[in-house]
Amino acid sequence: MAKETTIRMWRRALILILMMAAGLCLVVFNLIRLQLVDGEELKKAAIDQSLQPTALTAERGTIYDCSGTKILAQSASVWTVALEPAYIEEEDKKVLARGLAEILDMEEADVLALAQKKTYFTYVKKKVETAVKDEILEFLEENNISRGVQLIEDYKRYYPYGNFMGPVLGFTGADNQGLSGLEYQYDTELSGTAGRLVTAKNAVGTDMPFQYEQRVEAEDGYDLVLTIDEGIQHFLEEALEEGIENFEVANGACAVAMNVKTGAILGLATKGDYDPNDPWTITDADVIKEIEALPEDEQDAATSAALQKQWRNKAVSDTYYPGSVFKMCTGSMAMEEGIVSEETTFTCNHSYVVEGTGGQHINCWAYGHGTETFVEGLCNSCNPFFVHLGESLGPNLFYKYFEAFGFTQKTGIDLPGEANTIYYTADQLNPMELATESFGQNFSITPIHMLAAACSIANGGYLVQPHVVDHMVDEDGNIVMTADTSYKRQVISSDTSERMIKILQTNATIGTAKNGYIAGYRVCGKTGTSQKILEDQLDTSKKHYIASYCGFAPADDPEVALLVYYDEPNPNINYYGSAVAGPTFVKCMEQILPYLGIERKYTEEELEKIDTTAPSVTGEKVEDAKKTVEDAGLTVKVKGDGDTVLEQIPAFGEAVPQEGTIVLYTDEESQKETVTVPDLTGMSLSAANQTAVDSGIQIRVTGAALTSNNPVSQTQDIAEGTEVRPGTVVTVAFIEVDQVA
Amino acid sequence: MRQTNTGRSQSQREVSRNHRRKPTRAPASMPNSGRRPRRDVTAPSSGTGAATTVIPVGKANPFSPRTAMKKVRKKFKIFSVRSGVDRVFLYILLSLLVFGLVMLFSASFASSYFESGDSYHYIVQQSIFAVLGCVLMMVISFFDYHHLHKFAFPILGVTLVMLLMMVVLKGSSLVPNINGTYRWLYIGPINFQPSEIAKFTLVLIFAHLISINYDKMETFRYGVVPYMVLLGLLAGLVMAEKHVSATVILVAIGAVMLFVGGIRLRYFVMAGALIGAAILYLVFFSDKFDYALLRIQGWLDPFNPPEGVDTWQTRQSLMAIGSGRVLGLGLAQSRQKYLYLPEPENDFIFAIVCEELGFVGALAVILLFGLLIWRGIIISLGAKDKFGMLLGIGLTAQVGIQAILNICVVTNTIPNTGISLPFFSYGGTSLVMLLAQMGVVLSISRTSNVDKV
Repeated sequence: MAKETTIRMWRRALILILMMAAGLCLVVFNLIRLQLVDGEELKKAAIDQSLQPTALTAERGTIYDCSGTKILAQSASVWTVALEPAYIEEEDKKVLARGLAEILDMEEADVLALAQKKTYFTYVKKKVETAVKDEILEFLEENNISRGVQLIEDYKRYYPYGNFMGPVLGFTGADNQGLSGLEYQYDTELSGTAGRLVTAKNAVGTDMPFQYEQRVEAEDGYDLVLTIDEGIQHFLEEALEEGIENFEVANGACAVAMNVKTGAILGLATKGDYDPNDPWTITDADVIKEIEALPEDEQDAATSAALQKQWRNKAVSDTYYPGSVFKMCTGSMAMEEGIVSEETTFTCNHSYVVEGTGGQHINCWAYGHGTETFVEGLCNSCNPFFVHLGESLGPNLFYKYFEAFGFTQKTGIDLPGEANTIYYTADQLNPMELATESFGQNFSITPIHMLAAACSIANGGYLVQPHVVDHMVDEDGNIVMTADTSYKRQVISSDTSERMIKILQTNATIGTAKNGYIAGYRVCGKTGTSQKILEDQLDTSKKHYIASYCGFAPADDPEVALLVYYDEPNPNINYYGSAVAGPTFVKCMEQILPYLGIERKYTEEELEKIDTTAPSVTGEKVEDAKKTVEDAGLTVKVKGDGDTVLEQIPAFGEAVPQEGTIVLYTDEESQKETVTVPDLTGMSLSAANQTAVDSGIQIRVTGAALTSNNPVSQTQDIAEGTEVRPGTVVTVAFIEVDQVA
Repeated sequence: MRQTNTGRSQSQREVSRNHRRKPTRAPASMPNSGRRPRRDVTAPSSGTGAATTVIPVGKANPFSPRTAMKKVRKKFKIFSVRSGVDRVFLYILLSLLVFGLVMLFSASFASSYFESGDSYHYIVQQSIFAVLGCVLMMVISFFDYHHLHKFAFPILGVTLVMLLMMVVLKGSSLVPNINGTYRWLYIGPINFQPSEIAKFTLVLIFAHLISINYDKMETFRYGVVPYMVLLGLLAGLVMAEKHVSATVILVAIGAVMLFVGGIRLRYFVMAGALIGAAILYLVFFSDKFDYALLRIQGWLDPFNPPEGVDTWQTRQSLMAIGSGRVLGLGLAQSRQKYLYLPEPENDFIFAIVCEELGFVGALAVILLFGLLIWRGIIISLGAKDKFGMLLGIGLTAQVGIQAILNICVVTNTIPNTGISLPFFSYGGTSLVMLLAQMGVVLSISRTSNVDKV
């Protein structure tokens, strides 16, 4: 046998070469197909995937109040827990599932199913707090699991003040997208730009430190600095809550304070609101009960409607008939056109026949004001007078000013959901429409429209742009946007403006708006009461009203305008703008004006009535003390038999009413004495005074008591039944109840 | 009936004359069994002529090493230098090795950092083994490959024991479960796949048996049965490790050896049909039919795989290849190696080559493999005896089959299964084994009748 190779082997070896060559050709053919034909598509897929899972989240900007330091909305780090099942050791999966399920409060079986998925990446839970993340890290370390669990940084929104300013701030959704309020309006600016990591983040979540890494850093969102002052906002929210309780307001309320010169919103409170930390929970317990009472299939829709309602910003999204508040605009138009001056007279006979309507007439809310000047007409809020002014202006002029005041367009405030106004154009303004519009009925605007128009009357005639954001700051502290405070147009002359301010001040002092009077602050105001016409409530026996009060102060150089608006106060208690919204207006303005550093300037008349402060007599001899107190124009009451004053009530520096009393305690026995605070509400000034004196306390009055002829006490700051020391001062707020509309 | 030299073999003789030391003899005479006429003729060779002695076939066990050695008879020197190695083969091989190391570094540094905290871990390891392997290769190239006759059965024994051990120790710390398979053996610091050794064993034992029983290749008893038994044994044990790819390669190598070794084509076709039928049976009539169908579906459309079929690796591989376009993203610029493509340093290194060097680079790699196969077969054809030729063909075919199958997997031409790319894929022991086997080819080339440049 030969060992040499044979021809057959040769031949077959050559066939082998051919087969190998064929194999290689097949491969080359496939490479041509993949690289040269389908290459672009595959390359795109490769690039796409390398960018997609490695997005770097940009931190959402913070929202500050006007001080730039008080945080209204802020993002804090939270974590997304994800698994990479392909990298988890098979024997670790059960342990991991049990541990994660326990830490994350999930079902063990669910986590295990995720861990066993045949995939490279799957989410387990989002928005996990940092403490929980640390717990997971600890667990992984304890169990020696080094791969397969990813913790990705994300952000969650926090609103430190809780249920405060909700409809203004809005809230964000699961992906940090703004869904409502400023969060929605400024979503792009707040969001910033997500970054990219071109290299893969590896399986344990750290970056690979290679020079090829291309990292496009995330650009954090801009911070918003609002024009809203957290302090003023608090005044508004508290006052509204009190008002809602007092008048059993059914459909929410809002109060907006604005800088009359710049249009900057200083505070915007809406009630019937929510906690932006928890927007999906209905805040109103009654609403929850109502929904639970519904059949099951209607509950979802009802819940959704209730949520929409609580998210709604009434100040910009609700429209209403401004009612008598609008008379300040009609008056300004007529005065600007020279149709009327302060002394122009008109006779109100209760009923006014509208020209060109074939005898249709409009009634005044009062039984005829008789002959009155324009100033008196406004102070009386006399409807026929203003219908007459509207007629004198005619539809074209009226509409020209109506448009100029900005009622035909959105104000453009930087809040989402601003409602469109509903009105008649010049050619649609038939005599009856013109007549009703003249006193604020038959057209719908938002509260913010009315406030902006009031500002233009207050600031010399300039229509300003209402805005909420003052400026935006980038992550390095550079200001990237500043609000435009330029005015849109001059609506009336500064002369008309000045004259109207005076008339409105008179109105707020002795007219129908005097419930808004604040001694020393030269308040101007106008009340409004409008009947709501609801399509689904044609039953006129149930009447629904909106009570509003719009005013500004101080008259000599107006700074702040405030509109208070109550939607459906209980008519059995009161529904007039003056009585319902007036006290809230006072309560807010009384706090806002000193907060802004505006000083009280008393007229002589006021000086006679204002409170003084208690002098310091503690530690003095009783005789000396008596003299000091009497010199200050106050009366003295001495308790006990001691020689020196151990204590005085009111204490040094506290407010004492004119001709009030200071009680001096001279021994320990007397110091233990207490009296009970009586109910001081629903009384006339003199009756309240008498009750107080009888109980051994004294009262300090606020509100309409000083200017009104017939004030009635409405609230007291120390509740009935409280045990206090004799001489304690209880502040009682009075309102005017006769004067309405 | 015997045929003398053809014109072609004449010219080859002319060429090979330069390398001869002894005068050429006439082609060896061969006892004709007389059963049937053969077309088979001894090819010209540069053999010494010692092998022309008639070996009695007798009753001796043809498979015992002793008998085999008796048949070979000639005493070989331990080292046989003779003329030099085939430098063409050596250069192609070294080019592939260097190319492979460069690409390994590029492909592995990301995953190396990720897995060991050191970007250089893989490349340093691999380089050490490459140097060791080259030294070993050169040493072996001086070693007279005929001594392997003696080792054929001992190596077969060791391999079988090792493979049996794999089955017995399945799941223990020596043979851990890695992704559902049991292909790695861990002994102390060394770990390797016994299936790699099985491939060499198969080549060696087949070359040995075919070369000593060549004249009986046409019989069923001697030409088919022993090989089927051996192949079945080796492939079966490897299959027990759940190592499908190695099984496929073993069968392919066996087929190539038998084909070249002169098996009658009718047996060859029959065996092929039998294996095909077995596969079809497994696919269609076992409980895995549904899963297999899903796998096939996933293979045909990897971007929309059916539920439960993970085609991530294939998808990533295709994206990597496609990203390369004509000229590639540039060396080291691969995106896909950043943990997108699992095991970029291993079975899927070719995808990274495609991505970084483009179609041009990929073509270069394929060309180098083509040249290596061509030269390996040329060397084998020039081998002075059947043993050398079959050994050379088997070892070359092993590299060729692995390279082609690997690239087929990477390009999704065939379904995904773990096949490494020779000279490129990471794996120290397997590289050393591969280079040692190339040393055998070089050893064959020393006495081979090829034109050495």
